[in-house]
Amino acid sequence: MTKTNRNTLLVGLAAAVVVGGVVSYFASPHPDGLEKTQEDLGADEARHGGVEAPPVAFDEYSLKGVGEGFWANAAAGVAGSVLVLLILLGVGRLVRRRQEADASPEP
Amino acid sequence: MHIGPGFLSPAVWTSTAAVSGAALAASLVVAGRRLDDRRVVLMGVMGAFVFAAQMVNFPVLPGTSGHLGGGFLLGVLMGAPLAIIVMASILVVQSLVFQDGGVEALGANVLVMGVIPALVGTAVRGLWRRRAGPIADVVTFVGGVAAVLIGATVVIVLLRLSDALPGSVSLWQAIGVMDVVHLLIGVVEGAVSVAVVRFVVKTRPESVFDLAPGRAEAASA
Repeated sequence: MTKTNRNTLLVGLAAAVVVGGVVSYFASPHPDGLEKTQEDLGADEARHGGVEAPPVAFDEYSLKGVGEGFWANAAAGVAGSVLVLLILLGVGRLVRRRQEADASPEP
Repeated sequence: MHIGPGFLSPAVWTSTAAVSGAALAASLVVAGRRLDDRRVVLMGVMGAFVFAAQMVNFPVLPGTSGHLGGGFLLGVLMGAPLAIIVMASILVVQSLVFQDGGVEALGANVLVMGVIPALVGTAVRGLWRRRAGPIADVVTFVGGVAAVLIGATVVIVLLRLSDALPGSVSLWQAIGVMDVVHLLIGVVEGAVSVAVVRFVVKTRPESVFDLAPGRAEAASA
């Protein structure tokens, strides 16, 4: 990895950790625009059989087992950001490998 | 603006999943021709940042909050294919790990917060290639507002098609309630998008456009 790429990675990840891990703790606790609209319209009751992922490690944006608070939220912000980063680096690498395989001549 | 579990009918979530799935597949094919190490890293970093930014709900009206979508911003900065891949990854993590958005509603959420805003963002992307300035600022701001409002309107249409709105409320009333809130959220989305695009185009134009660093300097001189 070149120096520029490493710097991009470090600076970007630091920004994500500060915003997702710290700033988000001070976020508004109120329902978002869609949730509020559904409440106001009396449409906030699910009518179809939906699927929600089980809260395995995180109960919404809160790490389970450390109580609701700054660190539970910080863990969610950091873990989510890193997970998205790793998925995208993985997907990017896979797509590139296929591209290189397509470009190379048949033996 | 994540649609929760149980609100969309099977017909609606399967068809939106098909549309988003096709858009994602096409994006991966196109991205294969464009990706280099630098872009893969940028994509990952921007995804991490947009995920984090989405956690910051800001107050809009009494008892109501909003948060950034980010799909529009990514569309301007990277073009629709990469923006759609990034937004889909974020929405998958939000749905599967943080119970934010129904799992069956993933396709609809990718359509509304990924595909649509990414395409609107791509539409104004060309302006920045020529010259940053007041016109690019204004068009980008309006584009950001429009991207949020179109997404919000589509959500209401999908809920209506799913019979998830009371019969006593007309489609237009529901769109009115939804869009008033999302106009305010859209103003924030538009303003933040302009600020970020200006900053990135000024400091790292080569990370936005297909220019070698040397040529980027020459072009901005």
